[in-house]
Amino acid sequence: MSASVRTAAQRKARLLLIAELSPVVIVLFVLFGGALVLAVLQSLGFAPWFGVNTFPDFSYFGALWGSSAFWVSLWLTLYYGFVSTIIALIMAIILSLALIKPFRSKTLYKYLYKLPLMIPYTVGIALVVLMLGNGGIMSRLLAFVGMIDNPGQFPQILKTHYGWGIITVYVWKQVPFMTLAIYAVLLGIGRETEEAAAILGANRRQIFFSVTLPQILPGIVSSTLICFAFNVGAFEAPFILGGGYPDTLPVVAWRYFNDANYAFQLQGMATVVSIGIVSGVILFGYLAAYRRYERMRGRA
Amino acid sequence: MAGRKVTNTFNRLSPFQRFYLIAVAALIVGPFAPLIIQSLAFRWAWPNLLPSVWWLEQREKSPIPLAWDYVLSPYSRIYEATINTMAIGLAVTVICLAICLPAARVLARERFRGKNSFEFFLSLPLIVPEAAIGIALLMIFINLGLAGSYVGIIIAHLIPTIPYMVRMLTAVYQGLGREFEEQAMILGANRWQILRMVTLPMLMPGVVAGALFTFLVSSNIFLLTFFLGQGKIITLPTLLFSKISGGTLDASAAGITLIVSLPGIILLVISERFIKEEAFGKGFGN
Repeated sequence: MSASVRTAAQRKARLLLIAELSPVVIVLFVLFGGALVLAVLQSLGFAPWFGVNTFPDFSYFGALWGSSAFWVSLWLTLYYGFVSTIIALIMAIILSLALIKPFRSKTLYKYLYKLPLMIPYTVGIALVVLMLGNGGIMSRLLAFVGMIDNPGQFPQILKTHYGWGIITVYVWKQVPFMTLAIYAVLLGIGRETEEAAAILGANRRQIFFSVTLPQILPGIVSSTLICFAFNVGAFEAPFILGGGYPDTLPVVAWRYFNDANYAFQLQGMATVVSIGIVSGVILFGYLAAYRRYERMRGRA
Repeated sequence: MAGRKVTNTFNRLSPFQRFYLIAVAALIVGPFAPLIIQSLAFRWAWPNLLPSVWWLEQREKSPIPLAWDYVLSPYSRIYEATINTMAIGLAVTVICLAICLPAARVLARERFRGKNSFEFFLSLPLIVPEAAIGIALLMIFINLGLAGSYVGIIIAHLIPTIPYMVRMLTAVYQGLGREFEEQAMILGANRWQILRMVTLPMLMPGVVAGALFTFLVSSNIFLLTFFLGQGKIITLPTLLFSKISGGTLDASAAGITLIVSLPGIILLVISERFIKEEAFGKGFGN
């Protein structure tokens, strides 16, 4: 008797739990799952609304992967993503290690460093254009100290395939984001273990690499995952500051998609699916390596 | 002696750290100075470090700075973009709050099989490239007639905001013990009364924080708005994009850049204390 009462109550609790979770699940599942399925179907030649239905047809992937421009685009996309994530990470670690120490005007500083986090990437792009363009402030400063005589002598920083303009925007915007994550972890763990290591005679380098770094790793992993994924899928910075053809993959996909020729839309979908596959493989590899490391240390 | 040295390394900034903090601050805030100057300049040719002719010297020609005259006029579409950004942000925040609050309660208080995988699933939007999801969604929305509509943009904005909202609300629920609700139950309150008079008031600070942050994320989204808005709906980030997509920045674009930064600066001033640990300190599916 009492057992059946308990199961009825349990069943009710279970229904409630499902009801509470379902809105969020439905939204994400429909949007995500729908987008995913459609992208894959379409890249394989299923687009009856254009009168195209040759499913399954791998020719769009074949045409895409067969062109050398695609591989250059892929390389550029990953290059901008990796370089800016790594630079931002190093800057953020140094910044958060300084931030946990007490200093004057720290309250003000904690407002100030979050500024880029609060404003859109397009503002960062505008600032980079203003500072690093050939007629920009840096170029004027160099002229002021007499190193160059005309704007043409200023090294081309924007609109090249080295992408220093793009990387600057990403770093400017993402250092505060990563700092926030790492600083939060640092606050949570306290400084006792580091002090203990110092008293036991470890030097600064040893303290950082053997004590601090393993402790802040969760913050590092989650923030670099998010930033790298964003950098690979971002459109505005490479569009404005990139070196033109061959563009990064999101820009390529967008150009295909806006082409008057419908067939190119399917190629655009193949590009989108390729972005998903490449970043998925990299990110899941990264996560798997991290979890393995945590298991090795006996943490997770 | 050694002990004192240890305390010093832990409590005082090294000279390098002092320099580094100043350098980072200069990199972050510095570029805004020329931006403001640019928006007030009348003529500012290379290689002058400051404008050769300021607006002030030409004020008999135009009563307010030329760039600002344009920015504040209807031609710049800045009002339209501001209203769109606010309205979309508000709608996204309300919907996101409504669907994330129940889920956060379950995540904070219940144990069920597959909970870790479920949390990972909720974090997925943060690590799926935006361009991929944006173009695929555009295709669906074109077929559903949602492309270029407010509804479509609001739905799309839910994707990147849900993970943050869930994380922040879950953290609040975890910090809130069950005792108060149990006491209310013992005193005879029903479910609805408990929710309305005990749980929600105690959750309020976290709800405000989550709402502010969601609004912030939504108002900063460029790609999804640009792709799904189809040029019919402009927000502050997409308006600025169209002004600078040529790769140059004139005085009016500088003015628009300043206006676009304004909501973020205001939010930063009022909400700095909300924006921390909860949403970011948490690891990824571990």
